[in-house]
Amino acid sequence: MTRVALRGIRSHLGRFLLSVLAVLLGVAFVAGTFSLRTMMSSTFSELVETSTVGDAYVRGAEQIAAAASADMAAVRTGVPLDLVEEVAAVDGIGTALPEITGPIVLVGADGTAVAAGNGPPSFALALHPEEPSTELVAGRAPTGLGEVALETATLEASGLAVGDSAQVVLGGELTPVDVVGEVSFGAPVAGATIVFLDPVTATEVFAPEGLVTSIAVYAEGDLDEEAVVERLRAALGPTLDGLDAEVATGEAVRDETRAQVEQILGFVSTFLLVFAAIALFVGAFIIANTFQMTVRQRQREFAMLRAIGASPAQVFTSILVQALVVGMLGSALGVGAGVGLVAGLREVFARMGMELSGQIPLDGFTVLVSVLIGTVVSVAAAAVPARRAALTPPVEAMRDDVAAHDRGSVIRAVVGGLLLAGGVAAVAVATLGELDEPGMLLGAGAAGVVIGTLLLAPTVVPAALRVLAAPAVLALRPLGGLARGNVTRNPRRTASTAGALMIGMALVGAAAVLATSTQASTRAIVENESTADLLLQSATMAVPAEAAREVGEVDGVGAADLLEVATVTVDGDARTAIGVEAGIFTRALDITVVEGALESLADGEVAVQRGTAEDEGWAVGDELEVRGAAGTLSLTVGAIIDSRAIGVPLVLAQEQYGELVPAGQSVIDSVFITLATGAEVEEVRAAITEVITPYVVVTVLDNEEFADQIADQVDQILVILYALLGLSIVIAVLGIVNTLALSIAERTREIGLLRAVGLGRFQLATVVTIESVLTAVFGTLLGVGIGVGLAATLPTVYADEGLTTLVVPWSQLGVVLGLAVVVGVLAAVWPAVRAARLDVLDAVSYE
Amino acid sequence: MRALVDTSGEGQIASARGLVKTYGKGEAAVRALDGVDVDFARGELTAIMGPSGSGKSTLMHCMAGLDTPTAGTVMVDGEDVGRMSQRRLTRLRRTRLGFVFQAFNLIPTLTAEENITLPLDIARGTLDRAWFDTVVDAVGLRDRLDHRPTELSGGQQQRVACARALVSRPAVVFADEPTGNLDSRSSGEVLGFLRRSVDELGQSVVMVTHDPTAASYAHRVLFLADGRLVGELEQPTTETVLDALRDLGAGREAADHDASLARPSGHAAPGTAGARHAAGPVPR
Ligand SMILES: Nc1ncnc2c1ncn2[C@@H]1O[C@H](COP(=O)(O)OP(=O)(O)OP(=O)(O)O)[C@@H](O)[C@H]1O
Ligand SMILES: [Mg+2]
Repeated sequence: MTRVALRGIRSHLGRFLLSVLAVLLGVAFVAGTFSLRTMMSSTFSELVETSTVGDAYVRGAEQIAAAASADMAAVRTGVPLDLVEEVAAVDGIGTALPEITGPIVLVGADGTAVAAGNGPPSFALALHPEEPSTELVAGRAPTGLGEVALETATLEASGLAVGDSAQVVLGGELTPVDVVGEVSFGAPVAGATIVFLDPVTATEVFAPEGLVTSIAVYAEGDLDEEAVVERLRAALGPTLDGLDAEVATGEAVRDETRAQVEQILGFVSTFLLVFAAIALFVGAFIIANTFQMTVRQRQREFAMLRAIGASPAQVFTSILVQALVVGMLGSALGVGAGVGLVAGLREVFARMGMELSGQIPLDGFTVLVSVLIGTVVSVAAAAVPARRAALTPPVEAMRDDVAAHDRGSVIRAVVGGLLLAGGVAAVAVATLGELDEPGMLLGAGAAGVVIGTLLLAPTVVPAALRVLAAPAVLALRPLGGLARGNVTRNPRRTASTAGALMIGMALVGAAAVLATSTQASTRAIVENESTADLLLQSATMAVPAEAAREVGEVDGVGAADLLEVATVTVDGDARTAIGVEAGIFTRALDITVVEGALESLADGEVAVQRGTAEDEGWAVGDELEVRGAAGTLSLTVGAIIDSRAIGVPLVLAQEQYGELVPAGQSVIDSVFITLATGAEVEEVRAAITEVITPYVVVTVLDNEEFADQIADQVDQILVILYALLGLSIVIAVLGIVNTLALSIAERTREIGLLRAVGLGRFQLATVVTIESVLTAVFGTLLGVGIGVGLAATLPTVYADEGLTTLVVPWSQLGVVLGLAVVVGVLAAVWPAVRAARLDVLDAVSYE
Repeated sequence: MRALVDTSGEGQIASARGLVKTYGKGEAAVRALDGVDVDFARGELTAIMGPSGSGKSTLMHCMAGLDTPTAGTVMVDGEDVGRMSQRRLTRLRRTRLGFVFQAFNLIPTLTAEENITLPLDIARGTLDRAWFDTVVDAVGLRDRLDHRPTELSGGQQQRVACARALVSRPAVVFADEPTGNLDSRSSGEVLGFLRRSVDELGQSVVMVTHDPTAASYAHRVLFLADGRLVGELEQPTTETVLDALRDLGAGREAADHDASLARPSGHAAPGTAGARHAAGPVPR
């Protein structure tokens, strides 16, 4: 029987290739995701390996706040610089070097900031000549404020050369510098922009209070790391305790850093794997569909096998063997394609200045998981049609026109209906807003709706397609009618072909609604809450302090209110806090006060966001212990606010903020500018632009532009999302091609007959195209309907997270529908040409 | 016996001159048609008989423009089929030719009525209701018009196919073993209809058959062997056809002979067809 199965593949190679392609695409995505992740992770651990080479580190003992989210580093108390000499004096210690680092903006040769934006970080480091992790590859080490050395990749990206003059924004000030050297870590730095300063300058700028985050300790001779820690503890124990500092081995620090990297990458790869799962799910649809059709086509062959004594189990096995071959072949090719995908991505990243580790890792695990997933999905997808083929009585199959027997249809429709109803009910309950955690129920409801629809689709196909086809039937007689007949004759096949497209389109629909709603919501927030005339922001997310100060002095500027951001802890939990001048709320921001009064900020009280206050049970008058890297304060809650423009839990007045957060660690997020009475916006704006131009990264925006900017960011995310969803749509299109090609093969004789009674080639191609477009439009309508319907409930559920306005982008959805037509036409090209090329006589006598 | 080739060109609806069709090349080449000159008369039912592999289907396909001859000319209703482009051939099939295959004649997704009107729909022609009714009544399928092919018997399906072949009033209908799959009763229905379409509706029909009884419905029988025309019979009866076949087969191998005669099985007793034939149009 195995031989029969393998011969079957060989004689129907064409139709199996499409299934192989479907598996290939799905698996390529899975393998690509895994190896991309491994590659990134190895890039970063290499970096950690080569940049964190100390034997031990002395650092703030208490991790005053664990990283609350993936993009937040742990907050630690600082250690005094004076400790460096004491540490170095300990017996067996070679050198002790303080790690002094902080933000910097490097202006490249083209006059723009190097690597500004949301991507990899840009920071300055103190370059200690004796530090083993860095190597001076050209020039010399910087001395004094006017000199810098650049990391190799940074040098390349900036377009500068050793010996050039350049500018940096350092400590909030624009500073002219000379590039005097090139420094290498000996590993790719993953796109980070790294500028080296001499230790004295770095200390002045980043550690003016004499506090550094840690001190790297290098042993004299080959003392192992544990021993170094022992000795330091023994020698400096009481001092360290008094300073609230601790000693950790180099390995421990490296592990921590790696864990942080893994956490961030874990998030990224989960995201990618979701898309891989979608791709595979859609692929499984196609595989199942293909097998269902090929099995049906070969029903007579199986019946013959049964008639000569093959058991149902043997027929079943022979089909599964074919699926196994398809699955393994597709998976093997898919792994290769995945590696190709990653190689391409690395090229793209490299072009964008983000160098990743040299080789594409393909470990046994990736290969095993990818091949296993691809194969299991294929075999599982083929099992259902295989079972049906095996159980069909030979006499029934021998009959000429095997009607599509669909015994399970009623059960399936009932289950589908129940799931759909349950899903809708769950979503409805979630939107009522009575629940604490509506997300789970919403997710379950959405899954119910999607699966229910998939199950119910075959039942609605005849009626739905009759409606959809009506225009074609009327306009293109008799082609429309023929096409309608073809798509409705096997509802289940049409439904599952459309289902593959439906899944991708549901996500597209949901993403479109979410994106436009988010944009509209932010716009509403900006319009409602911001009363400032202009706004200053930085591409690096930090407005240089000097730029802010200079703008404040521009003629016509009435007030320039800074919004500074830092992480502090409140009763032990990490919170993002902003520091503002109390007056900002009368000038630039008009936010809702739920309880208390914002005027109390001036008296040294704090304002708390409503959501946080509710979660923590804080009320006006409560005392909070707020701790920052520079100190601890006990503050009273003076107001509870509800603001989406200020999305952070804690608002402090500038004086208290200054006591908690060391100047070197504070970041000016934005500056709200209110004009002096009588000043002309355009004139002031021109003057401000002149002042900020040298800072390169700073831009001035009005409220409208600010909202546009946020909308643009949402659009960028949407583009990435669409690109990923594009893959599932490509697979779905393959599915349509597959279904059409097979259905044409199935009705070859019919096509011959139609041609014999005078149907032209072009007319035949038109019939095939109409079928394709009908299927594509049906899938898209279902998908977009579901996606939009589900996404429409989100603003009610997530109003508190800032999603206040529901906007359905009808025109965008119209474009998607238009795209479905295009997709349908494209998918039809090959099958239609094939059908039109059929020789009339051959087709009529086709068996 | 009338001349096989009517040089006057008057009463002929379709004709072939020096028709050659070769399949394959070199050693393996098969001459399916080996120089056939033939005329099919207007307003007649012509039957073509011959042993299996004698080239009957090939002749029909070439006449109907479904296949391109290797040499020779084919004229249908005054037009040279051999010189036509695919596009013109398609139009010819739509408007002036009807074709009935041995089996599988109907589109399963369309009802009987839709199948019948399909050529007109494709041609975007207007349906002549009166003619449609005439044809439908002639095939006796009025109460079956809304049925799908799967809901029709084999004979009914072939009658629908015949109705479809006639509904666009084609110049000529070619039918390749239209009753090959049917029992005697069903073939009687189909053949009776074809004959009446000629006698009452004035159509021209050419059909291939292996069954002497079926041939006896025709005005004229042509005999084909090894790709050549070898005989002709006017006003045939089952007996005269059998006799003619026996005569023709005398010089040939017995196996071939048997093969050609073995196919019609379980048919009505000889004689009745002749009698019916003499009486003119056959009542259904
Ligand atoms: N497509 C083809 N390729 C090669 N040879 C062919 C092809 N079609 C027909 N032939 C050959 O041409 C000859 C005539 O075939 P044709 O089908 O016309 O016979 P026929 O008289 O219709 O026979 P039957 O009564 O069995 O239907 C046969 O020898 C056949 O083998
Ligand atoms: Mg034949």
